[in-house]
Amino acid sequence: MRLREITEGMTSADKILLIALILLSASGFIFIKKAFPQGSDVGIEVNGKPVYRLPLNKDTTVRVIGASGDTIVEIKNRKVRIKESACPKQICIHNGWIDRGALICLPNKVVVSIGGEDRQDKTIDAITG
Amino acid sequence: MQSRDKYRIALLSAYAIAIHSFESMLPTPIPWLRLGIANIITLATLVLYGFRAAMMVTLIRVILSSIFIGTFLGPGFIMSFGGGVASTFAMGVVFSIFPRLFGPVGLSLIAALFHNVAQLFLAYFLFVQKIEPILLVSPVLILLGTITGIMNGFIGHLLINNIRDKKVNSPHH
Repeated sequence: MRLREITEGMTSADKILLIALILLSASGFIFIKKAFPQGSDVGIEVNGKPVYRLPLNKDTTVRVIGASGDTIVEIKNRKVRIKESACPKQICIHNGWIDRGALICLPNKVVVSIGGEDRQDKTIDAITG
Repeated sequence: MQSRDKYRIALLSAYAIAIHSFESMLPTPIPWLRLGIANIITLATLVLYGFRAAMMVTLIRVILSSIFIGTFLGPGFIMSFGGGVASTFAMGVVFSIFPRLFGPVGLSLIAALFHNVAQLFLAYFLFVQKIEPILLVSPVLILLGTITGIMNGFIGHLLINNIRDKKVNSPHH
């Protein structure tokens, strides 16, 4: 039988290498999935209502209409910023690029938050009487 | 170089080009996923005739096939060239330093691994320039490379044994 001829022809180094490669790729699957969570996305809310849910890994620019005018949100290189806003103090623009947390424009009632599907930061810290 | 070696390299390169060209016509789910069956010829050349002959066969195969297919100097050619040279080099170095350590299957696995690593590097530097998609795809490629590598190693093992048997039985040698 030829198959036996081959498996007997495999040296022990061959077998060790084969097992090492399978372990390497299997552990790679696990570690890389953990290092780069795929679920992370950007949620944009206006006046408390969600209007957009965009993937963080896709560069794009969107315009939303807030309470006092337009707000332009830009996603680039897994980071988000508010590019333009119709609010008086422009605090949200000065916050710059963020890769976690949220950007909040109070006058315009726009909230841009980053989080995954299974976001942990939404759990309640404590409830007081 | 002796004329017998030239004849061998020419013949093995012709086989490798035929396999490579045929393989490039097969449809694949991912554009750069290849079975790497042409590496069977490189593997057999390395074990039977040495590092130099194997590298020559690889270079001739990659360059001539790309001219026949029409991808010469294109991105596909750069990937194919980098992968081919890196895998042959890795196999050749390991085989030259430890000739008895790995059998054809182990050498084929080394070739598959270095083929993928070289192509991932090339893809990063030339085309993608983002580490994240490269890292995400690398375990998949290494796993698929291990599967095709072991398959090619088995076939290479049979081919090497067949050629050796023929040499012993042939009245001309």
